[in-house]
Amino acid sequence: MTLAPSAANIAAPRASAATLDRFSYDDDIVREFMWATLIWGIVGMLVGLLIALQLANPIFNMNTSWLSFGRLRPLHTNAVVFAFAGNAFFCGAYYSTQRLLKARMWSDGLSKFHFWGWQAIILSAALTLPFGFTQAKEYAELEWPIDIAITVVWVAFAVNFFGTIVKRRERHIYVAIWFYIASIVTVAILHIFNNLSVPAGLFKSYSIYAGVQDAFMQWWYGHNAVAFFLTTPFLGLMYYFMPKAAEGPVFSYKLSILHFWSLVFMYIWAGPHHLHYTALPEWASTVGMLFSVMLWAPSWGGMINGLLTLRGAWHKVATDPILKFFVVAITAYGMSTFEGPMLSIKSVNALTHYTDWIIAHVHTAALGWNGFMTFGMVYWLLPRIFQTEIYSRRAMEVHFWVASMGIVLYVVAIYSAGVTQGLMWRAFDETGRLAYPDFVETVLKLLPMYWMRVVGGSMYIVGMFIFAWNIVMTWKRRPVRYEVPVIEAAPLTPVYVDPHPVVPAAGLWARFSQVQWHRRWERAPMLFTVLSVVAVAVKSLFEILPTFLLKSNVPTIASVRPYTPLELAGRDIYIAEGCFNCHSQMVRPFRYETERFGEYSKPGESVYDHPFLWGSRRIGPDLARQGGKYPDLWHVRHFENPRAITAKSIMPAYAHFLTADLNFEQIQSRVDAMVMVGVPYGEAVNSAPAMARKQAQSIADAIVSQGGPRGLETKQIVAMVAYMQRLGRDIKVQNTADAAAAKAPAAAPAPGGSN
Amino acid sequence: MKLSDIMSNAGLSFYAQVALVIFLAVFIGIIIYTFAPSRNREMQAASRLPLEDDVILIPRDPKA
Repeated sequence: MTLAPSAANIAAPRASAATLDRFSYDDDIVREFMWATLIWGIVGMLVGLLIALQLANPIFNMNTSWLSFGRLRPLHTNAVVFAFAGNAFFCGAYYSTQRLLKARMWSDGLSKFHFWGWQAIILSAALTLPFGFTQAKEYAELEWPIDIAITVVWVAFAVNFFGTIVKRRERHIYVAIWFYIASIVTVAILHIFNNLSVPAGLFKSYSIYAGVQDAFMQWWYGHNAVAFFLTTPFLGLMYYFMPKAAEGPVFSYKLSILHFWSLVFMYIWAGPHHLHYTALPEWASTVGMLFSVMLWAPSWGGMINGLLTLRGAWHKVATDPILKFFVVAITAYGMSTFEGPMLSIKSVNALTHYTDWIIAHVHTAALGWNGFMTFGMVYWLLPRIFQTEIYSRRAMEVHFWVASMGIVLYVVAIYSAGVTQGLMWRAFDETGRLAYPDFVETVLKLLPMYWMRVVGGSMYIVGMFIFAWNIVMTWKRRPVRYEVPVIEAAPLTPVYVDPHPVVPAAGLWARFSQVQWHRRWERAPMLFTVLSVVAVAVKSLFEILPTFLLKSNVPTIASVRPYTPLELAGRDIYIAEGCFNCHSQMVRPFRYETERFGEYSKPGESVYDHPFLWGSRRIGPDLARQGGKYPDLWHVRHFENPRAITAKSIMPAYAHFLTADLNFEQIQSRVDAMVMVGVPYGEAVNSAPAMARKQAQSIADAIVSQGGPRGLETKQIVAMVAYMQRLGRDIKVQNTADAAAAKAPAAAPAPGGSN
Repeated sequence: MKLSDIMSNAGLSFYAQVALVIFLAVFIGIIIYTFAPSRNREMQAASRLPLEDDVILIPRDPKA
């Protein structure tokens, strides 16, 4: 040990202490995001209430195309995920990041751009989704121009965020910031890769992926959107605001680091559990299940870490409504991260997939975890950002209890609905036939529970209005001018000076074990970020690439052909109306499924499905084998008024299909775009409208011959009928061809991976 | 010859196993490093960061 270095160590901090920086935090942006959280939260939840009513009674579709369930359901999910939870995350992130890094945001201009850009994106979602502009991929419904805007705004946010990290005045980057970093970079990757598509007009595009690959990509995105938009950002908030509210440090900082790395390492693999027993290859499904179950451990580690932060302060929970919100939020995180791994186990999933159980699961998480974290955080922020006393503590208590009871009513009802429907679908009677062969029976059984959901959801919204009232009343008591405190802190020295220098050990291994090299990494946030991105990207590639590149994963079926131009037009209407929100197109290889719907679905059947339309929920029956089940006229009557065919059906009426003209000329651009993503269209490349007109005429003639109305050949209904009658028939055609060829047993379609 | 032909014959499963080993090793490394007793003091200091973010406050000059 020499004297010289230690002398330098003492001198350096002194030099910097002499030049303390003076700066202030930008709390305007925090206030703006708080208001946006409140406003969009109310909007998103009211849309949720409307669609809950629509399921309880179809009268609430109001016979208006842009108010029907299929179009509004994506609006609800987008509004509560990206608008309510998104703005809440930004609100808390802008507040905590500046303080944890002891630095004002890098650029006030970029903060403003982020705020207004994000609100414009939400507004454009609200203005496009009800009118049927959708990519048909869950939580990625927004069409390509909006996707580009999201990318631009997100990059602005990222630049601003990393700029702040670079000029920070606190050497150690607190774990909450790690969670924010992971969220920002991963969401960017997910968003870009899942939304790659070829435009076919200003508000229409086709995914570049098809069938199995599109499904895999979508649920890699979909599950990680849950992970990196609703989980890790809110965990970051938890690790900042929970110690704040409890007035003590987190239970174990080490555990929080373990929590972070485990989630980052595991979450990215879990997506395929959304596709159990579908045409996805079985190895992928098993990987997804395995990692989902493993996720249980770190998730509960995080939950325990959050709750035990209250050690020695539990008595405060009785009197502090903010802590009440946090405790329920973290408990809901624990419940839903127990349930998630359970639902990802294949045999459990066989019962729960396509049922309301999944809806109950996400609402435990969204209402409990995201909602209550947001409420607790905003209540904690209010006195600080409005610089006054909170208006009513009693109203906070009332909000807490009303919303808590609302959650219980909601999820109990919908759990029961899920289990009921799942069991009814698989029930056989003593003669070996389906106990409930009529699908609508399994829906009607749920209606009382759907009404109970309306009550529970309404209570949650009442709580939301109490929340809003309390915020506005507190805001009214704000000072005329907000005080902007000036902070003093020393800038980081250009060269890191260790306050507790470690004496380099003798010998290579001993020096390696001192892990000074890793500490150097930790002080390099940019390198840290790049390495995190590499970790996420490499893991994704290992899971996703094989399905794209290994031929054996999607056995081709010779008889599967592209949709005709008219069928494609019908499919586009099916997408625009959001039919996939209630109808799956994926028969799983179970006897109770094949008895009810027909032959199970094969991976090779959806090779021309850009995007895939397998669906995730059966509010109505599966349509994968719909083609040829009913005559054309049945479909006409059914679309016109579903209750004319099935008295108790809850499907919205689509009478406008019979009056709205089909845009034949537009079909050409749609076909051209499909060709660009690799669909072999042959002669339709030049004559799509003419081919469509010809097929439309023959369908219209068939409708007339069955006793239906005349003059439908130019209406949207013929395209829908063409598409409905095509579904799942490629394989039937092949079977008859086999029969004709005789003695060709080996020509049977290649089995799905999951059979 | 398409890319998928090449990839199908490339024997990729070996790489997945290598990746598994690498990621597991890195993960275990992180755990050991995080829980090393030598870092106790550093971790305790870090965990107090949220509570110390508003200590040095001076009111703004009223003329400003």
